[in-house]
Amino acid sequence: MNRLLKRFEYLEPKYIEEALKMISDYGQKGSVLAGGTDLIIAMKKRKVNPQYIINIKSIPDLDYIRYDRENGLGIGAVTTHSAIADSPVIRDKFSLLAAACNKIGTPQVRNMGTIGGNICKAGPSQDTPPALLVLDAKVKLVSFSGNRIVPIDEFFVGPFKTVLQEAELLTEIQIPTPPSQSAGSYKWLTKVVTVDETLVGVAVLLTCDAGSRVCTDIKIGLGSVAPTPIRARKAENVLRGKSYDDRSIQEAAQVAAEETRPRSRADYRRKMTRVLVREAITEAWQSIQ
Amino acid sequence: MSHAYLVVGKRIIQPDAAAKATGTALYASDISIPGMLIGKVLRSPYPHARIKRIDKSKAENLSGVEAVITPEDTAAWQKFDRGLKDLPMIAGGYTVPPDESVLNERARHFGDGIAAVAATDEHIAEEALDLIEVEYELLPFVIDPQEAMRPDAAQISDFAKRNIGKHMSYAFPAGDVQKAFKEAECIVKGAFSTTKQEHCTAETAASVARLDVNNRLTVWSQCQLPHLARREIAHIFNMPVHRVKIITPFIGGSFGQRGSLCAEPICVALALKTGKPVKLVFSREENFIALESRTGFQYTLRMGFQRDGTLTAMEVYMLGRLGGYMGCGPMASAIGMIFGLGHYRCPNRAGEADMVLTNTPMSGAFRGFGNPEIMWGIEQLVDEAAEKLGMDPIKIRLKNIKKAGEIANMGLPLESTYLERCITQGAEAIGWKEKWRKRKEGTIRRGVGMATMTHCSGAAPLYLDHSNAWIKLNEDGSADLVVHPAPVGQHIWGALSQIAAEELGIHAEDVNIVTGDTDVTLFEYGSDASRSTYVIGNATLMAARQAKEQLLERAAEMLGVSAQELEINDRQIFSSIGQKKRISVADVCYDAIYNFKGECLNISGKCSWESKWNSPPTGAFFAEVEVNIETGRVTVLRFVTAMDCGKAINPMAVEGQLEGGIQQGIGYGLTEDYVINKDTGVVETDNYDSYKMPGMMDMPETQIIIIDEPDPKGPFGAKGVGEPGMVGVAPAIANAIYDAIGVRIKDLPMTPEKVLKALESS
Amino acid sequence: MKRMATFLVNEKHYELAIEPHMLLIEVLRDKLGLTGTKQGCEIGNCGACTVLIDGKPVLSCLTLALTVEGRHITTIEGLSQGTSLHPIQKAFIDHGAIQCGFCTPGMILSAKALLDKNPNPNEKEVKQALSGNLCRCTGYVKIIEAVLAAPEVISKEAKT
Repeated sequence: MNRLLKRFEYLEPKYIEEALKMISDYGQKGSVLAGGTDLIIAMKKRKVNPQYIINIKSIPDLDYIRYDRENGLGIGAVTTHSAIADSPVIRDKFSLLAAACNKIGTPQVRNMGTIGGNICKAGPSQDTPPALLVLDAKVKLVSFSGNRIVPIDEFFVGPFKTVLQEAELLTEIQIPTPPSQSAGSYKWLTKVVTVDETLVGVAVLLTCDAGSRVCTDIKIGLGSVAPTPIRARKAENVLRGKSYDDRSIQEAAQVAAEETRPRSRADYRRKMTRVLVREAITEAWQSIQ
Repeated sequence: MSHAYLVVGKRIIQPDAAAKATGTALYASDISIPGMLIGKVLRSPYPHARIKRIDKSKAENLSGVEAVITPEDTAAWQKFDRGLKDLPMIAGGYTVPPDESVLNERARHFGDGIAAVAATDEHIAEEALDLIEVEYELLPFVIDPQEAMRPDAAQISDFAKRNIGKHMSYAFPAGDVQKAFKEAECIVKGAFSTTKQEHCTAETAASVARLDVNNRLTVWSQCQLPHLARREIAHIFNMPVHRVKIITPFIGGSFGQRGSLCAEPICVALALKTGKPVKLVFSREENFIALESRTGFQYTLRMGFQRDGTLTAMEVYMLGRLGGYMGCGPMASAIGMIFGLGHYRCPNRAGEADMVLTNTPMSGAFRGFGNPEIMWGIEQLVDEAAEKLGMDPIKIRLKNIKKAGEIANMGLPLESTYLERCITQGAEAIGWKEKWRKRKEGTIRRGVGMATMTHCSGAAPLYLDHSNAWIKLNEDGSADLVVHPAPVGQHIWGALSQIAAEELGIHAEDVNIVTGDTDVTLFEYGSDASRSTYVIGNATLMAARQAKEQLLERAAEMLGVSAQELEINDRQIFSSIGQKKRISVADVCYDAIYNFKGECLNISGKCSWESKWNSPPTGAFFAEVEVNIETGRVTVLRFVTAMDCGKAINPMAVEGQLEGGIQQGIGYGLTEDYVINKDTGVVETDNYDSYKMPGMMDMPETQIIIIDEPDPKGPFGAKGVGEPGMVGVAPAIANAIYDAIGVRIKDLPMTPEKVLKALESS
Repeated sequence: MKRMATFLVNEKHYELAIEPHMLLIEVLRDKLGLTGTKQGCEIGNCGACTVLIDGKPVLSCLTLALTVEGRHITTIEGLSQGTSLHPIQKAFIDHGAIQCGFCTPGMILSAKALLDKNPNPNEKEVKQALSGNLCRCTGYVKIIEAVLAAPEVISKEAKT
């Protein structure tokens, strides 16, 4: 009902260390601001009422896209979705992630929202987590007591809950270069209209042997069908070691659907998981051929 | 027969377009007056509750707060119907009892306004709302209309026994339906339900009010019916009408929602209480919960045919959910029955409706006002009958559509109709022959479907169809046209300037629209019922004709010829006999004003017009859809609307109305679902994150066919076209889905789950 | 606590006393009187509040004013000069793409951002670029037509 925000103190740290100090000083009373597309809405709806806003968007050390073959991709936490979706190196080598970021929201939201903010919000229906799961992404969390690298599939613990500690800041997303002979696919259905929240999101990264055309590895990431984004590991096991074959793809899709734990529109979500997993795997296979 | 017009029929640009394109057009929410306060409303979080205690002291003590009002502060003012129907405006004495107070001490729905503040800025006003302490006594509530009619249900209004606000009967019953159904060779029937579609106007409800030192109240109001709003506001606040002045700013969309008072009553209350100007702008959530949205119905429909496809009987029973107060909702059933049962030729017709109060946000008028609701069912049943009888859906309709001269839906003769051409041209455009009833296989299936409809041009003889126009010619040959439609985006200023210009033989840009101030404009019923072009246009035409007579008389004197032989074209008056005798419109006007022969005159014309006519527009709608039988997703690939709305004064404007109608119809049919929690009465879809209307990516390829044949009664042959564009969209899509996958969905909206469920059951 | 901040709006500098919780849309509409930017839904879904920051479309209803201090902010008022209209505005007017007009400023700015980056977009690109702007009046048809026609108006102006 509210169109405006309640008062708060506004802080604009220039360096990561400065931000860390503010985060640990203000604790629960403070909120980190990146793109604002989630936080400002939550504040308008009075779901959160921070007394301090710590704007990390203007820390240059947090806004970058770096790639080299050995270390893979490093994305600064406040890199916007549109920067990622438009990045030539990401479109070329990590097209799955570009596709997921390009699906988020609207052009305006993509210009504002950041990948770090997205990950830290940990909403069950988000688009980047499934892609990050299958790309074996890791996040770098820093604090005064040390830094740690957390694999993305250990980062989410529940709806809107992550392992991020109160005094920690997510600074980087690290993604290894996918093996050669890999192809990815991101497929989704929205809740109602075309530009809308994702109802079911499926990311697939398929790797196969160049000679035998057998699937050496497959990763299936599912979004919006469980309390957190998940890997459909049982479904993955169905396909590892197999060559392209409709029946085993259908089986894997069915198994993936059974791994879901959707809360609302559950029956439909399960059915759609099966459909989309099948489509995503088929598409990934076809891009490798 | 086509007529060579100078300005009518041209795709002229709108006089207000540049202001809107540059962001300089002022809407109510943009207005700023020195000393203006900002208002905010506290709304009930419960569906039915009485205020036991309200403590406004903390709020009043907040620095910057100038007034906090509660229901007891509004007791001296009159109760009212926000739909303006507590005062006479409808023939036959139909009124709605005045049941709503400016602030209500018994909240009848989630979102009902119970207190309000005015403060020096919006931040303080929001803060003040949080400081108002309210103790509620929770009352039993009822959400479902069937339950509301039970004897043990919570009673919502003293005016509604068993919560039935109005029982409406079809206004033009005919024949003997029971006998006709006994004799019918093919009967189709069904139970249908429609939703509480929200208007989603781009601008939320907003108003500014100011009482000046002479006790005159000025209200910047978005109301579509400005002079009626003036009467209502004067009545509510115990003022004589002449002390109220309504100013109509640009309105950011309405589609019928602003046919009622929206932000005005509370805004005026705050202005009177503080003695200062007050602006009240609703949030988007308030629009969803505190205003009227489309009336939702459950209805059973029965239609009887002969074996050759002739329609012989129609009967409907409609149960409509009103909300906590009656508002415009009850008329949706009456109008729906009038348009639905009166669309096809049918000798035996009957209809009844119960309009039931519930503890939910109000229901009212939304583009079509009952017509889209009822055609949703009728057009599906017509297709069912066609299938049973082995007929093409097109043929069965051609058999039963009315011809010109027959009695139309409103009980007046059908002045003109080209519905047959709409059907045949639309069918060709969609590719009906190639696409209908084709063998379908695979996961993705395509189909085509159609629907037809008739609407109205104004609400004669039902409503007070009274408009006035006054036109004056300036010394340079330009004209000022004084009229008062509501500019909600329907391009009415342009249309009226074209009508006036055509009659006067000048250019559209020579006509200046003077409007928006009830001190200046003569009485105007306003803009609704698709009446502005047809009724205000006719008033304009006749006023211009009067001015033209004066002009020609003067010119005749100046040229020394008889007025009968004079014509005007392209700003020039000339004799049809001798080409040499000519004079410009400007010269005649100038001479009349600055007349040193002692015969000064400001050439003008006036028309006070009560429309006794109603020329219903007719139209055919064609959808091509693609259905994914695995996901249940429906994509509308192409949509063709073929409309007979008489002569299109501005084809670009007509297309715009019809294209907009397609978006709203797709939303109605597929994506928009207004959800109220049955256990708490809370509105769950209260903003665009949960209520989804079609965006750019959801639109099909569209084609608009304008038949463009003139109607004998419309100004230059024009008929209304504001509402028709949405009426046939949802049923055309439903019929196309049936063609694609052989299942019928009778409940709006047609969600993917409903499609899958229908496929499973078939 | 108010603080002084400098805003660069439509190439003009404004020094304003701002409180941190003020949104950019408030600063534009209430402090600078630039009411062309509209508030439609408060939660960033309708796009009516779209402005350009360094040429990119963003939602002013979800942007804290202080976060864009010193950045180039373009509102609809920045496109025309007196009675001289921007070609995109002309295209919208000529194609009947404006009905109630409330979504128009946001649409035009999203279109401008697109055409500045991609001077000859196809229909799909236009739809994607404007997909964050909702309209209830036009059905979007003439809006898309206007944006597709704008490049020609732009190049005509460039020649004269």
